[in-house]
Amino acid sequence: MYPQTSARALGTDRRRGFLIALTAAASLAVALAIGPAPWTPTVLGADEAYPITVVDDEGTEVAIEAEPQRIISLSPANTEIVFALDAGDRLVGRTDWDDYPPEAAELTPVATFTGVIMEQVVALEPDLVLAAGNFFTPPDDIARMRELGYPVVVVYAPDVPAVMDDIELIGSAIGASDEATAVTAQMNADFDAIAEAVATSEDTPRTFYEIGAEPEIYAPAPDSFLADMVVLAGGEPVTTGDAAAWSIPLEELIVADPEVIVLGDANYGVCPDAVAARPGWEGMTAVTENAVVPVDDVPVTRPGPRLTRGLASLARAIHPELELAEFPADPPMCEAA
Amino acid sequence: MTTTDLARQHAPVRRGSLEALRRRPVVLGLAGLLVLAVAIVAGVGLGTVHISPSETIAILAHRLGWGAEETWAQSSETIVVTLRLPRVLTALIVGLGLSVAGVTFQGLLRNPLADPYILGTASGAALGAAIGVLIPIQIAWLGLGLVNILAFVGALAAIALVYRVAGGGGRSTMTSILLTGYAVGSMLAAGLSLAMYLSGSQLRQIFNYLLGSLAGSDWQSLLIGLPIVITGTVLILARARSLNGLLLGDDTALHLGVDVRRERAILLGLASLVTAAAVSLAGLIGFVGLVVPHVIRLIVGPNARVVLPLSAIFGGAFLIIADLGARMAGELPVGIITAVIGAPIFVMLLRRYRTGYQL
Repeated sequence: MYPQTSARALGTDRRRGFLIALTAAASLAVALAIGPAPWTPTVLGADEAYPITVVDDEGTEVAIEAEPQRIISLSPANTEIVFALDAGDRLVGRTDWDDYPPEAAELTPVATFTGVIMEQVVALEPDLVLAAGNFFTPPDDIARMRELGYPVVVVYAPDVPAVMDDIELIGSAIGASDEATAVTAQMNADFDAIAEAVATSEDTPRTFYEIGAEPEIYAPAPDSFLADMVVLAGGEPVTTGDAAAWSIPLEELIVADPEVIVLGDANYGVCPDAVAARPGWEGMTAVTENAVVPVDDVPVTRPGPRLTRGLASLARAIHPELELAEFPADPPMCEAA
Repeated sequence: MTTTDLARQHAPVRRGSLEALRRRPVVLGLAGLLVLAVAIVAGVGLGTVHISPSETIAILAHRLGWGAEETWAQSSETIVVTLRLPRVLTALIVGLGLSVAGVTFQGLLRNPLADPYILGTASGAALGAAIGVLIPIQIAWLGLGLVNILAFVGALAAIALVYRVAGGGGRSTMTSILLTGYAVGSMLAAGLSLAMYLSGSQLRQIFNYLLGSLAGSDWQSLLIGLPIVITGTVLILARARSLNGLLLGDDTALHLGVDVRRERAILLGLASLVTAAAVSLAGLIGFVGLVVPHVIRLIVGPNARVVLPLSAIFGGAFLIIADLGARMAGELPVGIITAVIGAPIFVMLLRRYRTGYQL
C-alpha cells in the first residue's frame, strides 16, 4: 500500500511538499511541481505496436494492452498534457482541480482532496489511469486501482527537463508519440527563445517567489522546481536555504533583501499593496523600488505544456524590460491595486 | 436494588411514544435490526455511481449462487462486490464496536463524556498510523498495511501504558486512570504533532486517517477485523451484569459480589481491543462511540444488558448511514457526517428527556 519509492527518493524532498499540503486548497497544483525523484522514464515498446510496456516515473513497469481509449487523468498537469497531444477526446475522468483547457470541465471528476472515488473509476471502465506521484494521488489508491486490474502510470516531474520526459512518457502510453515529440520540440524552442532574451539582461536580481505568506512565509527550497524556474527566468532565487525546509523566517528574508518579489499567491488574493503594508517588509528593495509583481501561478507551477508560458511570465516579472511578445500575457491581476 | 429499579424511580416526567419503548427493549431491538437491514441494503444499493436495485440484488444473488443470468456490466459487479459490500460491512463492525466500547468506557469511568478514545487510544492509534505513513517501506501482513497494524498496536500500547502508570491493578480509582489517560494522551498527541510536522507530502495521508474514512475498506482487512470486534463485543455482552454493578460505584459493586478489580481490568481490556480494531480499520471516526450509547440510554434507561446490544445494533446502522451520506456528498470525511447527523438527534432527545437521564 506504500509507493514503490526508495528511501533516497523521499529523503531530501519529502518535506518540501508539506507546504503544499498546508496551502493545498490554494495551490494543489504546486505539489506536482516540487521535489526530485531519481527516475528517468524509458519506453520499452517505442514503436507503439500494442501491447506495450512503459516504465513510469516510480520505476514501475506498466503493461498497456491496446491503444487507450478511456483515459482517466488524476492531475491537472496530466489532463493538460493529454489535451495538448490531441487526445482530449479519449479522456473520461479528471480531478476536482482540472481547470484547463475549459473542455476538461466536462469530464467526470473522480478524485477529491481526500483521494480517488474508486466507484467512479470502476464505473468509467478506464483502460489507462494517469496518476500523479509524490503523494498527489494517494499511494493506497494507486495500489487499489492496480489491484482492480487497471494499468496505472504514475507521472511525476522533479525538475524542469523531467516535464519533457513526462510529456513523452504519456505520449508513448497513449500512442501519441509523434504529437509528444512535436509538443516538446516547440517547448524546447520556447525555452531557448526565453533563455536568449534573458541573456540580454545584464543583471540577475535577487528574486523571492512567494508561494504563500500566511501563517509562515513559504518559499522555494534550493534546487527545487520553482527555484529552477526562477533561475531560467533570469533571477537569483531567494530560497529557504535547506532542501528540507519549506518556509523562510522573516528575518532571513529581510537579510536576503529581494530586489524582486513575485507573488505566486496573487491568484489567491495577495496583491502588492498588501505586501507593502506587512510589518518588516517596507524596507526591502523590491518594496521600495515597486518591484512586487503578481503572476498567474498555474502555468509557472503546473508541470505541463503551458510551462514555457509560465516561464515567460516569470521572466517578464523579473525583467520588466523584456517583451517576449510571442507569449501570451497573464490575465489582468490585482486590478484594484 | 438493581439498576433497572433505580431507573424506574427516576423515570422521565414527560411521556411520549418513545417512552413506551423503554419497557419494551425487545421491540426496540427488532426495530433496530430492521433499520440495520435497511441501512445495509441502502449502503450496497446506493453510491456515487447509480446501479439499479434490481441489478444490485441480481448481482448479490449471483454471487451467492442463486442463478441469475449475468445481464449487468462487469463494472457494476466490481462496484457492488469489491467496493461497496466490504465497505458497508466494515462500517457495520466499526460502528458496532465503537458504540459497545463507548458504553463500556462510560460505565467503567462513570463519566458521561467518556468515549472509546478517552484513555489515550486515539492518540496512540494516530501516532502509530503516522509512523506507519512515514516509514518508507512497504510491509503487508495478511493484507494489512503498516498503517493499520501500527494503529492497532499504538492504541493498545497507549492504554496498556495508562493502565500501568495509573497502577490499574492496585488500589487506583477510575479517576486516576482517567487523568493518567489524559496525560498520556497529551504526550502522544505531541508526538503526533511532531510526526505531522516532519511528514511532508504524506501529511494528507495522516490527516485523512485523523478524520476517519471507510473509503479504503476491502475484504481482507474486514475479515481480520471482524473476529476481533465480534469476539470482544460478545465477551463484553457476557459481562453486562458486572458493568451494571460497577455503575453503582466500586463499594456497592463489591457488596453485590462483583470482583471489582478483575472485572474492571477485563472490561477495560476488551473495550480497548475492540476500539483498537475499529480505529485500525477506519481511522478516528468521532462521535459514534460517544453519542450512540447516550441516545440508547435516554430511551431505554441505564441497564447495560439492554444498552449494550441495542448500542451495537444502532451504532452499526448509524455508521452505515453516515458513510452512505459521506459517499453521496462526494467522499466527505465520515466523521463530519456522524457529527452533523448525530448532534441534532442527541440534542433533541436530551430536551425530550431533560429530567430523566442518568448514566
